[in-house]
Amino acid sequence: MNNLRHLVKKENLFVALSSLVLLFFSFGAFFINFQHDPYITDIANRLLEPNEVYKFGTDEVGFDVFSRTIVAGKIDLFISLSGTIVALVIGLPLGLLASEKTKRAERIMRMLDMFQAFPLLVLAIVIVAMWGNNIRNVIFAIILINVPRFTRLIRSEALTVRERRFIEVAIAMGGSNLRIIFKHLMPNILGTLLAQASITTAHSIVVVAALSFIGIGVVPPEASWGSMIRAGSQYMTTGQWWTSLFPGLAILLCVLSFNTISQYILRKYESI
Amino acid sequence: MLKIIFKKLIFIPIASFIVSSLAFLVVNVTPGDPVEVIAGGIASEETKNEIRAELGLDKNLTERYLSYLNDLSEGSLGSSFYTKVPVLESINQYLFDTFELIIMSLIIALFLGFIFGSMGAYFRGKFPDKISNLILSVIQAVPDFFLGLLLIYFLFYKLQLVPVPVGRLGLLDIPPEEVTGGLLIDSIIAGNWDTFKTGLRHAILPSITLGIFYSSYFGRTTRNVLGNALNSNQVEFAKALGLSKLRVFLYALVDARTPIITYIAILFAGLFGASAIIETVFAWNGIGGWAIDKILMLDIPAIQGFILFAGLITLFTYTFLDILITFIDPRIRKKTI
Repeated sequence: MNNLRHLVKKENLFVALSSLVLLFFSFGAFFINFQHDPYITDIANRLLEPNEVYKFGTDEVGFDVFSRTIVAGKIDLFISLSGTIVALVIGLPLGLLASEKTKRAERIMRMLDMFQAFPLLVLAIVIVAMWGNNIRNVIFAIILINVPRFTRLIRSEALTVRERRFIEVAIAMGGSNLRIIFKHLMPNILGTLLAQASITTAHSIVVVAALSFIGIGVVPPEASWGSMIRAGSQYMTTGQWWTSLFPGLAILLCVLSFNTISQYILRKYESI
Repeated sequence: MLKIIFKKLIFIPIASFIVSSLAFLVVNVTPGDPVEVIAGGIASEETKNEIRAELGLDKNLTERYLSYLNDLSEGSLGSSFYTKVPVLESINQYLFDTFELIIMSLIIALFLGFIFGSMGAYFRGKFPDKISNLILSVIQAVPDFFLGLLLIYFLFYKLQLVPVPVGRLGLLDIPPEEVTGGLLIDSIIAGNWDTFKTGLRHAILPSITLGIFYSSYFGRTTRNVLGNALNSNQVEFAKALGLSKLRVFLYALVDARTPIITYIAILFAGLFGASAIIETVFAWNGIGGWAIDKILMLDIPAIQGFILFAGLITLFTYTFLDILITFIDPRIRKKTI
């Protein structure tokens, strides 16, 4: 018993830490008074190693890596989160529709199967490249590649729940379709759904970073983790590691945090 | 049995048609005007119209779609807008280079993933499971291109274990005569072992990067399915019979074969697109790197060709997988009949 309590506490600690990390990267830029402006270059001090003045060093054009790593967080996290939320909002009704045993449902699923045959990252790259570099298009790309995933997940979850006895009872009692969906289906798939949303956000962070890493989407002078890693990438062969390392670690931390939260949600809902 | 295979195969033409239509749609239905981007801001209206005519963008969507299908039926994917090289020729040239990378990465991913996965499954809930879970979580959270850069820093700059991470050969090395287009395969065919060794040394970094990254996905799947198999009734029975630990493990592995093989196929198809960014990082000269170059240049026929090709590869891999599984797993065979 003592052991169990210990475990629970440790888990809560991880979740709290994860939330703090995410809050820090989302809103930190609004509260921290930066020593160096993230959008002004210091041309005399380019590619400086981390030191007293520049905590994380400077990049090839003289940007301060520390302030840009934090400022990039609010942009990258905003894109990933809003893309995920919209994808969820679209995928939810589609998935519920597809979980009905009709011809129409079959057709929705076949279409999505076809769509998933394409390499999704490349698809996102194509969309942003063809539609132009702005935040709106990046969000759109995130939505597009995630709607099929949500639809599929919600469908399979809803299918399992629909098999259960209490749904049968609800139907026998004359519950309307809407009532069954909102009163009985939704609460039972909510946990999986939120957990998946958390993972999807983590995944989207990587997609956004990959886009700006190859030079599209959020591009300099706007700060983003992907473009910062790109700026430092050629210097990795000559040993100047700091420009790429810090934004990379920021991505790692955020993704780990979202994954931790996702696991926590799953466990919470399982235990109910 | 034949009936199942036939059923799967008859789906291919229809699916191919849908895949090719989607490839067309993705590239051609855009809110903005791609010509604006291609021509740049300062181009005159005349130049823009010329570009439009050359790309066939002056016609409406239906006409373009019909001429695209017409080209496809003649086995042509059009030519690159800039270089005029037929798209199919470029794909042919770069395809095997990417396959080589994918195969090598897949081997590494399977090897590492299997070790971590079976460690977690066998010692489920115990210390080794926690360690493997931690390692897999961290690997999964690192973007693959960032992992590649870290490996460049440590293996090339710090330890100098690998050659310069650019391209497939050194500057002075002469590539072998082209047969398949894949450098390693070609040098084996030509019997040129020195080139083969150099090529292999250059392949270390990119394939380790992709291999490590995808081992996390494979490891997770292996842990789950193998863990379930190890907790199943037949494994309990095998244990009760007093069989050796290794033998029991092998029995569990046989039980878990179908999802594991399924996941290998999914990884293979997925790597086809996912390797693109790693290819650009290491200047690998494969089809993914080529595609990203073309996408950034908005070379519409080339992009269309690549998307179509990637879709078809996935389609064929999955169909092949379906058939393979009905062969090796009688449980699935029963279900589909």
